[in-house]
Amino acid sequence: MKFFKKGQIEKIVERLAEKADVFVPMLRGQQSGFFSWKSYDENYDDIIFDLLNVYSPPKNIILPQTEKMYSFDQQGQETIIKPEEIPVEPKVIFGIRSCDVKAIEYMDEVFLTRTFVDEYYKARRDQVAIVANACYNPGTNCFCKSMGVDHLNPEAADVILREVENGYVWESKTDKGDILTKQVEDLLEDQEVELYQPNRFVRKVNYDGVAEKLKDLFDHPMWERYSDPCQTCGICTYMCPTCYCFDVQVKNWGDEGYRFRCWDSCMYREYTLMAGGHNPREAAKERFRNRFLHKLQFFNERYGTPLCTGCGRCIVTCPAGVDIIRMIELIKEAEPSV
Amino acid sequence: MSNCSCENPLVPQIVEVIKIVEETPDVKTFYVQKDNGVPFDVMPGQLAMVSLLPTGEGMFSVSWQEDDHLQFAIKRVGVMTDELHTIDVGQRLGVRGPYGNGFPVEKCKGRDMLFIGGGIGLAPLRSFIKYCFKHREDYGKITIIYGSRSYDDLCFKEELFEKWPQEKDTQVYVTIDNAEEKWDGHVGYVPAYLEELNPDPQNTIAVTCGPPIMIKFVLQALEKMRFSDEQVITTLEMRMKCGIGKCGRCNIGSEYICLDGPVFDLAQLRKLPPEW
Repeated sequence: MKFFKKGQIEKIVERLAEKADVFVPMLRGQQSGFFSWKSYDENYDDIIFDLLNVYSPPKNIILPQTEKMYSFDQQGQETIIKPEEIPVEPKVIFGIRSCDVKAIEYMDEVFLTRTFVDEYYKARRDQVAIVANACYNPGTNCFCKSMGVDHLNPEAADVILREVENGYVWESKTDKGDILTKQVEDLLEDQEVELYQPNRFVRKVNYDGVAEKLKDLFDHPMWERYSDPCQTCGICTYMCPTCYCFDVQVKNWGDEGYRFRCWDSCMYREYTLMAGGHNPREAAKERFRNRFLHKLQFFNERYGTPLCTGCGRCIVTCPAGVDIIRMIELIKEAEPSV
Repeated sequence: MSNCSCENPLVPQIVEVIKIVEETPDVKTFYVQKDNGVPFDVMPGQLAMVSLLPTGEGMFSVSWQEDDHLQFAIKRVGVMTDELHTIDVGQRLGVRGPYGNGFPVEKCKGRDMLFIGGGIGLAPLRSFIKYCFKHREDYGKITIIYGSRSYDDLCFKEELFEKWPQEKDTQVYVTIDNAEEKWDGHVGYVPAYLEELNPDPQNTIAVTCGPPIMIKFVLQALEKMRFSDEQVITTLEMRMKCGIGKCGRCNIGSEYICLDGPVFDLAQLRKLPPEW
């Protein structure tokens, strides 16, 4: 087994940062998230490998919150379109948890398969190596295991770190992982260490049969009732590691400008508002329902898995107390109305 | 599968507007060209994203493709289309695509075709109608039923009244919602006119497109006439941003209208949640 002592972790990151932009979980002011090691300021930031989920998922590293697509200059017949060059600097997401790794797998399915490849996503994704931190001690709102995530063996990880007494085990899983291993080889020791027994999950839910059952619940009164507290603020979608919907907008000064995309949310009225005023999901209830059906039924029908990795962020951040675990339970309890 | 020829499916190609036809007070058809040809080939019923670069993008059905240009019939309904209606010939636009499945032109071969359109809904139907005329021997009898609010609001008048009725084995029926002095044709709504004409479902495929309320009653009328769900085809509309099944918003159930649609038969639609 390859092993390194806890005190070595910054050295390892430092070494990886010689060849890549390394994103590390940090507490920065009031916010925790994955921030570039280049921006680390020891007076201001705390590195938090031990914390389970940071507040913001690392999806912005592959799908930036706003991203230029191309610029244009329209001077009559001299109209020019210039596609944005996507930075090709290698990146490492270091210390990412299994739920967020799984979310990247789901995004890979969306952006890289099904007829079209999203070139912006692909360019960024190709450059990313994933160093995951296996979870031996699930948190109070963690339920990844219930959603089919292996919290000890994140599949898309290039390297898996396992916390052990006084240090971490370093386990390379892919060619990308082997390259990273070479970079830090002299910082790793060969040593047999005992792995922890994983702790139990506090929260569990049984997703079996939910996708199938939802087919008969589209018109169920439950949506009216349970969407009532929802403010349609969209925080659940912004904090969700799997939510990938985006908007395309333009910024111009006269005839020059650029088109960009930015995260969007199905909780907003404008998301489906059509020119002319028709909106198929005008009411909060309809948007709330679409969000849960997308996560628990529609995505499953299209990609064979729910679009939820059980990270628990939406439960923690929702100002109205909407709880996806409770929603799954309520769906299981509901009697189809017709 | 996609026949999108571009390297990055989200980046448009530049086309020139070579002709603008004023169809109605709020519909214009834009003829666009790239290097004396087309930016890409489209099948009837497929979509393309048209952009007025500094203003916005919108998804439209391609209402016809000639060897050297594409035609888009576009109604003025919002910010981008308002602006689009002010441009002149020579203007450069962005266009990307083609997107979507298009009409099942192969599956319809050997069938009689019944086209039922309302208002701007004739724009997508027109691509299929003209395709049938271009491949006339492949299709049987062609019946076109079309209506608008008023005479002025009828799109493609020259084709409706002069060209299409001259085609072999073709009937064109036109109606307007309310009587007008300059109109001596049929008056009434499209679904009622359809019931009055009572076409035979035998070996026929019905293709309908128009405002949601018209589609609703047309589908009911066709059912009454004993058209099976597989014999009825329509196109759906949703807000779209990417066109490639990624951005999320155009879903109805697990289908993306931009990618799996916009064309569905009624049997497929009945399996979807009632959001269309």
